[in-house]
Amino acid sequence: MQAVLKLTKYIRPYIVFAIIAPVMMLIEVGMDLLQPTILQHIIDDGISQGDTSYIIKMFGLMMGTSMIALIGGIGCSVYASKTAVNFATDLRQDLYETITYFSNNSKDKFTLGKLITNLTSDVEMLQRAVTMLLKIFVRGPMMFIGAVVIVFVTARELFPILLVVVPILAFAMYFFTSLSGKLFHKVQRVVDQVNTKVQENLAGIRVIKAYNRKNHQIEQFTDVNTQLMKRSMTADQIIGVLAPLTMFVVNLGIVAALWLGAIKVESETIKVGVILAFINYLMMVMQGLMSSSMVLVQLARAIPSAGRIVEVLDEKADIQSPNQPVQNSVRGEVEFQQVSFSYIKGTEPVLKNVNFHAKAGETIGIIGMTGSGKSTLVKMVSRLFDVDQGVVKIDGVPIQQYDVEQLRQSIGFAPQKATLFSKTIADNIRYGNEMASDDRLEEALLAACATEFIEKLPSGKEHLLTQGATNLSGGQKQRLAMARAFIRKPAILVLDDVTSAVDSISEKKIQQAIEKQFGQATKFIVSSKISSIRHADQILVMDDGQIVACGSHEELLKTNSMYQEIDKTQEGKGGTLHD
Amino acid sequence: MTKNPVGPPSTMGHPGGRFTGPVVKPKNQKQTLLRIWSYLKLQKVELISVIIIVVMSTLLSLVGPFLIGKTIDDYIVKLDVNGAVKMALVLAGIYIASSVLTWVQTFVMIRISQKTIYRIRQQLFEQYQSLPLAFFDQRKQGDLMSRMTNDIENLNAALSQSVIQIVSSFLTIVGTAFALFYLDWMLALVTLTVIPLIVWATKQIIKRSSVNYKERQRNLGALNGYIEETISNADIITLFGKEKQSIEEFREANEKLRTSAMRADTISGFMGPINNFMNNLGLSLVIGTGAIMAVTSGLSIGVIASFVTYTRQFFRPINQLSNLLNTFQSAIAGSERVFEILDESQEVADVTNAKVKNTFAGNVTFQNVDFAYEQGKPILHGIDFHAQAGETIAIVGPTGSGKTTIIQLLTRFYDATGGRILLDGEPIEHYQMSNVRDHVGVVLQDTYLFSGTVRENIRFGKLDATNEEVEEAAKVAFAHNYIKYLPEQYETVLTSGGLNLSQGQRQLIAIARAILEDPDLLILDEATSSVDTMTEVHIQKGLSNLMKGRTSFVIAHRLKTIENANQILVINEGKIVERGNHQTLMNNQGFYAALQSQLMA
Ligand SMILES: Nc1ncnc2c1ncn2[C@@H]1O[C@H](COP(=O)(O)OP(=O)(O)OP(=O)(O)O)[C@@H](O)[C@H]1O
Ligand SMILES: Nc1ncnc2c1ncn2[C@@H]1O[C@H](COP(=O)(O)OP(=O)(O)OP(=O)(O)O)[C@@H](O)[C@H]1O
Ligand SMILES: [Mg+2]
Ligand SMILES: [Mg+2]
Repeated sequence: MQAVLKLTKYIRPYIVFAIIAPVMMLIEVGMDLLQPTILQHIIDDGISQGDTSYIIKMFGLMMGTSMIALIGGIGCSVYASKTAVNFATDLRQDLYETITYFSNNSKDKFTLGKLITNLTSDVEMLQRAVTMLLKIFVRGPMMFIGAVVIVFVTARELFPILLVVVPILAFAMYFFTSLSGKLFHKVQRVVDQVNTKVQENLAGIRVIKAYNRKNHQIEQFTDVNTQLMKRSMTADQIIGVLAPLTMFVVNLGIVAALWLGAIKVESETIKVGVILAFINYLMMVMQGLMSSSMVLVQLARAIPSAGRIVEVLDEKADIQSPNQPVQNSVRGEVEFQQVSFSYIKGTEPVLKNVNFHAKAGETIGIIGMTGSGKSTLVKMVSRLFDVDQGVVKIDGVPIQQYDVEQLRQSIGFAPQKATLFSKTIADNIRYGNEMASDDRLEEALLAACATEFIEKLPSGKEHLLTQGATNLSGGQKQRLAMARAFIRKPAILVLDDVTSAVDSISEKKIQQAIEKQFGQATKFIVSSKISSIRHADQILVMDDGQIVACGSHEELLKTNSMYQEIDKTQEGKGGTLHD
Repeated sequence: MTKNPVGPPSTMGHPGGRFTGPVVKPKNQKQTLLRIWSYLKLQKVELISVIIIVVMSTLLSLVGPFLIGKTIDDYIVKLDVNGAVKMALVLAGIYIASSVLTWVQTFVMIRISQKTIYRIRQQLFEQYQSLPLAFFDQRKQGDLMSRMTNDIENLNAALSQSVIQIVSSFLTIVGTAFALFYLDWMLALVTLTVIPLIVWATKQIIKRSSVNYKERQRNLGALNGYIEETISNADIITLFGKEKQSIEEFREANEKLRTSAMRADTISGFMGPINNFMNNLGLSLVIGTGAIMAVTSGLSIGVIASFVTYTRQFFRPINQLSNLLNTFQSAIAGSERVFEILDESQEVADVTNAKVKNTFAGNVTFQNVDFAYEQGKPILHGIDFHAQAGETIAIVGPTGSGKTTIIQLLTRFYDATGGRILLDGEPIEHYQMSNVRDHVGVVLQDTYLFSGTVRENIRFGKLDATNEEVEEAAKVAFAHNYIKYLPEQYETVLTSGGLNLSQGQRQLIAIARAILEDPDLLILDEATSSVDTMTEVHIQKGLSNLMKGRTSFVIAHRLKTIENANQILVINEGKIVERGNHQTLMNNQGFYAALQSQLMA
């Protein structure tokens, strides 16, 4: 419920619409209520007097009120939709903005599948609830209250029946709405799972085909699909009890009215007409309740969705810019002092007391075993995570004191997994720098050795990539990801194992281009190939989250046994296949 | 390419999933509706029972008012309390029955509609599993997801009410129409004159809302596509500080949805008030004409009064039907997007009498193979080689030369556009596709792991592998070495894509997965590209045992890994430019030698 209150702020900008809608509805209801009276007049005054012109006049009046009702109805509809759709769109926008600033931690916590459900299905649910609320909620309760009041005035002898019927119904409605909140929470959770399953199966379709696991995957999907069916079915079926139950209770009221009425008529305390009137009003009570309960059920369905959305909105972005960030532009000096970090707090750190100092313009090579923390280390430079202990300093200033955006602006980062977007090649590269001139774009592509293959594409730089850039080869993807980093002309350039799928001739060219164009920049080059880093000013040898040695290629070859061992595995002779 | 049939399969999980038959694209609403109906029809028993129950409950609901009138007229007015009480009890019985029936009909109908959409979801998922890779190359994953959830959900909303309302409305309309004509045929005709108007208005609204619903679902799909892609690549957005740009792009898609959702909602919102207006119009006409008739030809006021009641009763179900039609527009818009996928051509069907082999010796021959992903853009030209069973073939060459493409033909991800590929002397298409894939093990260049435990991910290679086998494979792939340090070892839960492991660690699991599969043909496409060379040495020791006597294809840029291959094929721009073993190629002083020397420099 609290969640719902929190979301009311998204209605506020449209509060005028939200008020107009029910008011228009009142007009429609009012006009509808006039109709019987006019009818009355036609019969009593028109027909009995034989007054044709009066009848025609009244007929005109009836048409007039119908028209007004039509306008009221349409107005209500239009403004209800306006409110609900605007509300939902704004909410979705805000939700997406929040998610965009999520840290990896938060994303892992919520999972992709759930976030997608939040942005589509949950928001949709709320939108429907708001529409219903504005369209029907006035009508139902008004009818209900009106009928109860009239009964109290005109059929007081039978009023005790309402005193029994109404509380029962109120309780039933309360019970079912709170129940449906629980049931639909469960439904949404399976929807998350369906989303996750489908997403994974689409992303991993090649693996599935390679292993011929179609049937296995279908089996797994059948599980969640069955669950979704069962839970939705249960939820719908249980909630489906409410309508017949309401009908039943109200009808029992009618039976009671007849029973009690018969006795009272016999004892001459009431007239027969009272029973008839009472029954009619009871019908109105029922109609009012039925439509209100429909809204309530819809609301109850939306409550878990609201809760799930608020949970996301309330998630704090871990990494935030300070209030007064330092203003100096980044030169590129990077220093790690006693840095420790773990992804899952309380477990063994992934980085342990890491110390090094990179002067601006230096090339830092990083080499080490798989999982030793190389990628984690370079990600700390972009402040993708905050350290647990120690400090990361850039130009002598702790990294937390920079404006995050400005900091990242000065870093060109090519991550280990070459991820591109489904846009044109040019757009993908310009992602690194929208302002870049065409020349600069060419330059970046050339430096990354990408020009050669782009030239062969029929549409060249305008070549449209598919999602995940599946229409490129592995090495082509890596080159574009590199070009995207190059085009920024950053003070700090991070290349995380980006030449693993690039052939040696191209790699040589790329190395030379980097030397030439990024002499000023501090360069972090992670690689498992010694040939990629042998000319670095400093090479950090990492093992199990620690820097076990640091120095130039020659120094390390002399002093560090691990480096020697790595070197040995990459020597010219002595292949290792079929030993 | 074969087409799958329209409508649901006769059994769930259609055998083989490949049929031949005409494709009927749902060009218009009627066809889509018929197709939805074909799914509903699968639950004949339930449907028939619902119809029977609805008929009963509708009749009972008509008996109620009649009995009330009777009770008042015959008992209460005559002060017969006992009789009245008896009647009240009868009435109570009827109400109980009618409530129960109403609930049962809802209960069954929900079951029908949930089962139906379950079936459609299942079929859609199976279709996703059966579509060729070329299909996925053109689609956004998020859009495909949206079809699975948002679009199918629309159908649910329409179905759960459909049958009940159609049947009960129909009954009520017919019943009251009889009553109307019985009372006064002239007035009845007047009432009926409004019907063409209602039909016309409904048509107008439906025509417009259908367009808008389609637009809305399309926009929703596009938005989902954008969401899925950006959230899964959020790292890049963060690293490049592009949060604002991405929010703006989202806004664009979101605004599109705002506009189309607003249009769809607004227009379908006209339905209620316009129907209400039509009712009032009909009522006014009846009263107006009735009044004139009363004045001129002495029609009784009682008849007019009953007429008013019946007219109201007559219009209510008509309104319901027209509302239902409108709800169905939204369902149709969703279903069309689902059916569109179901009508896509599936992966190439197996030839009749396709061969199945328990083991492959591993002789692979490429005869003059050409291939193009897109027409007119050939990637491979006249690839020609022969791999003797048990040999290790290395494929090297610059980026984008077509190495991965060659092996994708071997796994039948794509089919050659020219030439022949022979497996053990038979064209590869003569085997069942699943048979080939079962016996060809491949470590793909792009690793993908599923959410689940490490163990489950390795076991993906052989579903019935024991824990020992899983760990054995992990040891050979040198993955055991780090897995034992993970918080829960083999039970450590990976996130989607395995993003909580390092890239190299992911590759090791992919290798273990292939080792566990124990295939007759092993393909390693840059399998160790992100793995450090010390680990690589260990893996290769294990692998070389595995590769003995088993045809293997190895693609690598680190030429060291391929020096001992029996044959090295050097590919450039989709052609084999050199071939031979390491020694002969080095002596040749050609392309290969150039690649090698760069590594040493
Ligand atoms: N699905 C696809 N659709 C269209 N073109 C594709 C597709 N996949 C690859 N290509 C193109 O085909 C060519 C060969 O790609 P392939 O993946 O076979 O190269 P590769 O030799 O494996 O390169 P790398 O060493 O970089 O992995 C490339 O130019 C690539 O852009
Ligand atoms: N998101 C994450 N959550 C939890 N643990 C993680 C996460 N990312 C990485 N790790 C763990 O942190 C350790 C270091 O990972 P990192 O990616 O930095 O290794 P790496 O040196 O780059 O390895 P590689 O050479 O394979 O790329 C690994 O043991 C890995 O399992
Ligand atoms: Mg890494
Ligand atoms: Mg490749």
